[in-house]
Amino acid sequence: MPAPTPCYHCGLPVPAGSSFHAEVLGATREMCCPGCQAVAEAIVAGGLEHYYKHRSENAANPQALPQALPDELALYDRSEVQQPFVQQDGELSETQLLIEGISCAACGWLIEKHLRGVPGVAEAHLNLSNHRLQVRWQDSQIPLSKLLAELRRIGYAAHPWQPDEAAERLAAENRRRMRELGVAGLLWMQVMMATMATWPEFNVDLSPELDKILRWTSLFLTTPIVFYCCGQFFRGALRDLRTRHLTMDVSVSLAIGGAYVAGIWSTITGQGELYFDAVGMFALFLLAGRYLERRARERTAAATAQLVQLLPASCLRLDADGQSQRILLSELRIGEQVLVQPGSLIPADGQVLAGQSSVDESLLTGEYLPQPRGIGDGVTAGTLNVEGPLTVQVQALGDATRLSAIVRLLERAQSEKPRLAEIADRVAQWFLLFILIAAAVVGLAWWQIDSGRAFWVVLALLVATCPCALALATPTALTTATGSLHKLGMLLTRGHVLEGLNQIDTLVLDKTGTLTEGRLTLKAIHPLRELDEGACLALAAALENRSEHPIARAFSQAPHAAESVDSHPGQGLQGRVEGRLLRIGEATFVCALSGQAVPSIAGEHGQWLLLGDEQGPLAWFVLDDRLRDDAAQLIAAARTRGWHIHLLSGDSSPMVGEVARQLGIEDARGGLTPDAKLAVLKQLHGEGRRVLMLGDGVNDVPVLAAADISVAMGSASDLAKTSADAVLLSNRLSSLVEGLKLARRTRRIIIENLSWATLYNGLVLPFAALGWITPIWAAVGMSLSSLLVVLNALRLSRTPNT
Amino acid sequence: MSALYILIPVAIALVGFAIWLFFWAVDSGQYDDLDGPAHSILFDDEDPLHKAGVEQAEEQSQRDKPDA
Repeated sequence: MPAPTPCYHCGLPVPAGSSFHAEVLGATREMCCPGCQAVAEAIVAGGLEHYYKHRSENAANPQALPQALPDELALYDRSEVQQPFVQQDGELSETQLLIEGISCAACGWLIEKHLRGVPGVAEAHLNLSNHRLQVRWQDSQIPLSKLLAELRRIGYAAHPWQPDEAAERLAAENRRRMRELGVAGLLWMQVMMATMATWPEFNVDLSPELDKILRWTSLFLTTPIVFYCCGQFFRGALRDLRTRHLTMDVSVSLAIGGAYVAGIWSTITGQGELYFDAVGMFALFLLAGRYLERRARERTAAATAQLVQLLPASCLRLDADGQSQRILLSELRIGEQVLVQPGSLIPADGQVLAGQSSVDESLLTGEYLPQPRGIGDGVTAGTLNVEGPLTVQVQALGDATRLSAIVRLLERAQSEKPRLAEIADRVAQWFLLFILIAAAVVGLAWWQIDSGRAFWVVLALLVATCPCALALATPTALTTATGSLHKLGMLLTRGHVLEGLNQIDTLVLDKTGTLTEGRLTLKAIHPLRELDEGACLALAAALENRSEHPIARAFSQAPHAAESVDSHPGQGLQGRVEGRLLRIGEATFVCALSGQAVPSIAGEHGQWLLLGDEQGPLAWFVLDDRLRDDAAQLIAAARTRGWHIHLLSGDSSPMVGEVARQLGIEDARGGLTPDAKLAVLKQLHGEGRRVLMLGDGVNDVPVLAAADISVAMGSASDLAKTSADAVLLSNRLSSLVEGLKLARRTRRIIIENLSWATLYNGLVLPFAALGWITPIWAAVGMSLSSLLVVLNALRLSRTPNT
Repeated sequence: MSALYILIPVAIALVGFAIWLFFWAVDSGQYDDLDGPAHSILFDDEDPLHKAGVEQAEEQSQRDKPDA
């Protein structure tokens, strides 16, 4: 089958023969599902269709967002539920909501514009960096549940948000870094003016007392820079010295501390040269580099960290009379009975007391087809009930669930994550050793020649060779590359990824949702009787349109509707289309209608569904989880790098072998539990391999956390995204291939930068040793070399072929 | 040169004020979102109210021209 056209709203493939479309920006656009169509229509109806013109990314698929039932939203109107996160201010209520589904800046515009148009909303402001919406509204005019429903109408899910300790600490630290940067910048300008006036090169005719005043002024202004702004360097240096490492922090602290102490001496005695401006420049450049690096990494990492919502917020509890009542999950107790409707998440581990259904456990186990569950079977918290209502007796809640066990495994795995060596730290170590030895030799030599100048020559040497460019070499390159990668659709959440990608030699892949699209699509139709493919598809679609089963999503909208469709969980569907009684599903179930023998299967892989009427079978439908289009490209890219490739899947079906065969992967293992996957990874680590893990499910989470570098798909579960080092926001494997290329270029730029910085320091060393370097030359050299390093790093912002 | 005796304290006071102002701006959350405002200014051109205002202003200026 040809590759389908992408949905105008969300970019997912439109199923063949789909009848969903909407009028957007003066043209009819194809949509993949009723959800996208409804959202697009709501956006257009609100006069906000310019959103489509401005967006740089496709919107999130509304069906991918967590489902919320109207009565679940209504829980948020209860005052005791609102109490922790809503503040009252007279008539107005105020709260912060965490928004899910934001893909680009245009989303922010859409949300703010739409909410401001809702009567009763006084103010709506979305912070694009952390996806938090600050909203003030009149509770008497519009309840909170209505606001949440309005957001959902335009395709976003909103969750009440309370700052937890980690988020508050992060926000406080970001502000602290910003203040340090500002103070360093503002004070440095003043220090520079005061210090430069004392330099002989500028030939300012200073009176001795004015010279003294300027020296004291610059000392006064430099002190906050050293003590307020540079604390992080000193603390880092102390920590590294304790563990007997010579790192960049040590050399930075040495340069700043040395120049500052010498400056105090020179201010008090009134002799010698002042290097206070170098202290300020150094502090400002380094703080700016670190601040940018920090911001580039934390952009959306902080936002997704809040979204680890694997369990539903509420559930339906059954009382003794069999009446159901919606309660918050926190109110549920062990031994109680809950009713789980089809399409909702199971809130706790338990045992099925009544009902027959199938449960989608793909996120937890990697099985790509829902598993049948009946009376007496166990079900797991966080899995999705697909077909029929289930009554479940709660056996384990919260920390005792299987889901929490995986989360705990994740925490343990994280602590065992190996640390990849960084080039900059290795260079810094040798550099610092060399400089210290050189300083000692030069100092000794000058002591013999002219003991009065020895101290100043050594100081000039330390300042002139101060590793400003060296310290900027890595952060600037990483920051620029992180920005370029973000444009390519790959978001880095931890710093070591770009450098580390070059040290990888093994690729570990998950199957469901990673190499494949993670949802069933129709692959082939084999008619068995007089009806052709199109007619059979129309009949099958008419039946399937009435079902919630994931299989049903593979069928597009039918031209005619079916009547009286019954679902037989685990077997199939029965219904009447244009007066004809039909069954679709398991072969034995379908053949039972006509009493005929089951036709043989032609041998293709995938899920085989039979359609039949009272006269006998009509057609086979072959459904399959499609391989992603760019899966082969990724495997090829990995192979050219000489990596070992392993496919580890939780799926126990023959699909694993089939995918491996198509892609030519030799080592493919199926039916693995999260523990088993982690064990394989440990074994690889034991062999000294450096592993890149690519996955999406909750069952991949421990491996993602323990791998040297881990990448999660954009459509992955929230927990997988937060425990991975990078997220493929674009959901395209080709972004990772681009990322691998960019990682190589980044490494080259870092090496260039480091070589230039060392070369500059090497060149300036003899002049400093001869005592020719004065503060002005130190300043000029430092700025020029830093500028060169930054400009070189900026080359990474150009993406190739554009 | 004696002007410097006044100018130096003035400069220090000004820096002190600037730092105080900067701290206030950081604490009031003005630097928390450095991405959003950069984009929102682009979308404002599409605001129907803004467009209506621009049109009105253009009409006004064309009507004014013959008189001038």
